[in-house]
Amino acid sequence: MLKSLENGTTPFRNRGWFSRFLLGFLAGAMILNLWLIFFYAPTERQMGEVQRIFYFHVPAALLSFLAFGLVCAAGILYLITRKRKWDLLGHSAAEVGVLFCTLVLLSGPIWAKPIWNVWWTWEVRLTTTLILWMIFMAYLMVRSYAENPDQGARFAAVLGIIGFLDVPIIIMSVRLFRGLHPRVFKVQGGGGLDPAMGRTFMVSLATFFLLFLYLLLERYRLGCSDWETECLMEMTERQTVARPGILEESK
Amino acid sequence: MKNFEFLFAAYAVFWLGICAYLFRLSLLQKRVDDRIQQIRKLLDRNRSS
Repeated sequence: MLKSLENGTTPFRNRGWFSRFLLGFLAGAMILNLWLIFFYAPTERQMGEVQRIFYFHVPAALLSFLAFGLVCAAGILYLITRKRKWDLLGHSAAEVGVLFCTLVLLSGPIWAKPIWNVWWTWEVRLTTTLILWMIFMAYLMVRSYAENPDQGARFAAVLGIIGFLDVPIIIMSVRLFRGLHPRVFKVQGGGGLDPAMGRTFMVSLATFFLLFLYLLLERYRLGCSDWETECLMEMTERQTVARPGILEESK
Repeated sequence: MKNFEFLFAAYAVFWLGICAYLFRLSLLQKRVDDRIQQIRKLLDRNRSS
């Protein structure tokens, strides 16, 4: 990073054509997705309109798992190579993952109130998802409050790897512990999704994946800019050491 | 339209959350870009003097 800055280039930081293309494509896909959710997908007989929460609640949950998987993978790679790019990727993925997990934890109770007649119950999937959210909030707090950034990155990488172990527990929880949370896919003895609902769900999943990718790229770009600031500050300090009176001259 | 108010509330929360996060990112990005420009100017001035 420092070498390329000395040559006058700014790697990673500028918003590339891919990010702009992604934003345009995402806007179109989101309009199509909303049309499918509200006008194409049939209304569920028992739950009514509130069932349509499913089309963004489930993709958001799956993408938060993907984000935490990325945090875990980036954490392992950071601990092995100690390269800053993996730490940046892990931090970016954790932040986007926490955002999606927060939205899951907020939209879930809004669905639960009319269906279960309670906002929250200490059901196993809900509880383990709340624990996952707390672990990755702790991850972000470790990053923010660590006095030594390298130490903070190391601790956060370990926390990210351990935190990801909660994801398989969440996925298996409904089957293993027979919780209240509905199972939509692979229901034994009939049931499952109507084909139109299935198609809408797949489009929704693809659209939210694009949204996730866009947010991740933007957060990564911000991380690169922070990194660039640190490197430039280092260059300024080196100039000051080489020519002690330079700060007074520049004033 | 059974339970429509809950659906509306959920979508509102979802989109407000996404928009607030995007706004925060763009604000932070702008702040960091300004800081980079300032440091670059200082560096150039130091090089030329």
